[in-house]
Amino acid sequence: MKEPPLSSLRGFVTLHVTGPAVEKFINAVTEAGIVIWEVKPAGNGASLNLLLDDFFSLRPLLKKTGCRVHVTARSGLPFRLARLWRRKLFAGGILLFGVMLLLFCSMVWTVRIEGNQRIASDDLLAAARQEGIYPFQWIWRMDEPDKLSKRLTSRIPGLSWVGVERTGTSITIQVVEADQPEKRPLLSQRHLVSRTDAVVTGIYAEQGRPVVGINSRVKKGQILISGALGDEENIEYVVAKGEVKGLVWHEYNIEVPLKTTSSSYTGERKDRTYLVIGDWAVQLWGYGKSGFSKSRTLTENNMLSWRSLQLPLGVMTEKELEISYASSVKTEEEAREEGIARAKSDILARYGTDSTIKSQKILHEKKDNGKVYMKVLFEVEERIAEELPIVNN
Amino acid sequence: MTRIGRRLRGWTNGVLDLPQDVLQELPRITLIGNKELYIENHRGVLHFSSGQLTIALAQGSLEISGQELMIRNILGQELAVEGIIGEIRYKGSEEKP
Repeated sequence: MKEPPLSSLRGFVTLHVTGPAVEKFINAVTEAGIVIWEVKPAGNGASLNLLLDDFFSLRPLLKKTGCRVHVTARSGLPFRLARLWRRKLFAGGILLFGVMLLLFCSMVWTVRIEGNQRIASDDLLAAARQEGIYPFQWIWRMDEPDKLSKRLTSRIPGLSWVGVERTGTSITIQVVEADQPEKRPLLSQRHLVSRTDAVVTGIYAEQGRPVVGINSRVKKGQILISGALGDEENIEYVVAKGEVKGLVWHEYNIEVPLKTTSSSYTGERKDRTYLVIGDWAVQLWGYGKSGFSKSRTLTENNMLSWRSLQLPLGVMTEKELEISYASSVKTEEEAREEGIARAKSDILARYGTDSTIKSQKILHEKKDNGKVYMKVLFEVEERIAEELPIVNN
Repeated sequence: MTRIGRRLRGWTNGVLDLPQDVLQELPRITLIGNKELYIENHRGVLHFSSGQLTIALAQGSLEISGQELMIRNILGQELAVEGIIGEIRYKGSEEKP
């Protein structure tokens, strides 16, 4: 054992002892039960280490042996503390830094919300605030995350699950919204009227009162399903809903050219790049002729701009694409087929894809100037209902 | 200690084969190379300098001479010496210094 345990914590002093009988002093100290170590002869005396606690009990021994002591070094925690005490502000700063660091680390700095789509983040944050989750809240004042998530779930309607997770000083609230039924659009009271002159082939009223029967002729604007219920005295208006189908006649004037020319790109191209400065364009790449017999040139201007300001500097690219023309001649029959097919697809596009073409009749047909002219009558079963709002005034 | 007591002690030692330092007040001196010296059962320091160290024993004294001698610690009856130890001389009480 070199020195007593924890001597640096308890503090010890290095003494220089001088006097006529240093040995006597050492013996006296040992007899008194005081621990000394590193006793070295130095100068005309000796230097030795001694615990700070024992220092003050040396006095009678010194008197008895007639020695003098001189403290040469002080080491250990008590002396350090004393030195620190002399620089109170500095020590206070160190302490304050530690305390602040500790406090700031135990504070919530950010609250984030993830996974919400319908419910506003502000609402969730407000609810979280009620539960004690908000920035600059002490972490130790908050409840357990599982309890918090349970209470948040019950606090906010429309949530099926809430997860509260703390990582360091930031809190993440993960939210899963409950599925809600789709909202039905608000509709105003209305009738369903005919869009066009037709013969009714089917009527189905989901809401409202059907006023026309099957096979009845209706005029444009005639009420098919009435939104008015009751008699003259007790009348109530509802939103008429339903589906009415009817036969409608469409007359199409069709013209189809027999000879058609179509152009197509061959895929060959030549690019030219120009640097544009003001009104000037300097070619950068793509010198030389393309050698295409027929071509189309697409020009693209990319001018530099800064914010909304257009700069007179930019790059222009020219794409020269080779074109080949192909012409084809149709027979009269093919032209007729094509014309009718085009008209049919037009009907489907215009009146709904659930329209069915009941019959078609070519009323008139002539061939002139390399074109086929036709007049075709289509009998189409289509939806004829149209909404008409009821205005009470 | 009476004569009979001393003799009884000597006889006990002989019979029980006990180490002398336990029963009689003899020092136990341990020397590690020429660097460290442990002395148990000493009776204080008589002389102390870097060249010479004299330690009192119950009977006589121990003279240690060397270089850079230093007492590493003193704890009651134990004493540890550190330094380059050159010579150790045991002086019994019969021997006149």
